Amino acid sequence: MNPSSRHTGAAGRDRDYPDLVRAVRTGDRQAMERLLMRAQEAAWRFSLMVCGGASDAEDAMQDALLKTYRYATRIREPEAFKTWLYRTVRNACLVRRRRRVDEPAHLLSLDELMPSPDDGTRVPEPADKGRAPDEHVANARLRRRIRAALAKLPRQHRVVVFLREIEGLSTREVARVVGISEANVKTRLHRARLFLRRELEGL
Amino acid sequence: MTKGHDRSCRELVEQLSRFIDGDLSAADRRAVARHLRHCPCCDDFVESLRRTVALCHEAGQTSLPPAVRARARARIRTLLGQVQTAGTAPHGTARTRH
Repeated sequence: MNPSSRHTGAAGRDRDYPDLVRAVRTGDRQAMERLLMRAQEAAWRFSLMVCGGASDAEDAMQDALLKTYRYATRIREPEAFKTWLYRTVRNACLVRRRRRVDEPAHLLSLDELMPSPDDGTRVPEPADKGRAPDEHVANARLRRRIRAALAKLPRQHRVVVFLREIEGLSTREVARVVGISEANVKTRLHRARLFLRRELEGL
Repeated sequence: MTKGHDRSCRELVEQLSRFIDGDLSAADRRAVARHLRHCPCCDDFVESLRRTVALCHEAGQTSLPPAVRARARARIRTLLGQVQTAGTAPHGTARTRH
């Protein structure tokens, strides 16, 4: 098993997309409602974690809702829905984002990200499911710190991290959504992971 | 991680994501594993990278805030209600701003 695909991502907690789309095509109203909610959730997460703020999130959710409704009733390949959804959400968010100028534009150089010999970087352990209540506060702080680290990534890397690590898309699916080669996805993901590792040092 | 990053350590760092993703050939995977057995610093580095990946995954596991979810539900109701009434697909008329 590919260890990185052991999780299904935020999008995989519910029924799988192709099943939902197939159910929608049979006129299943509940499936349609669930699909429309999931499309809006994806748009919200993308706005928040890739575009860096909640200000455009509701507009992105509205776009995702309408486009998903129109598309889901006429899609021929249910398996293609997921990449269509993320491509649509990405395009809508990024078009809005282009008006702004506060994006980090630099590329990530491997030399900058190499650990020093006496690095001593300590990245904290992921949360334990059975954590005590006071640990929730610490974890909320940790989550904010991780999001702040994600926000420092150049957007082209942040999109890849979001789709791969958080939404659980495969390398091939990420390549289709972003419109780059699978090799390029792997390179961006690797640079981003090294950057995030350094940013999370000492938490 | 040896002082000044010797070639094998640098090559290893370049392969680490593919290593933890199970994306290396069997021969390359064995070579990395062999290096890790003899280089505690690189071994620590791999573990910290694994934790980074797990933390990012965890940080993204968020639900919609209740108010946002309520508005999302309202939009769906409005949209499907319009469709049912009109018997046609909506054309951007379901905007429910709050």
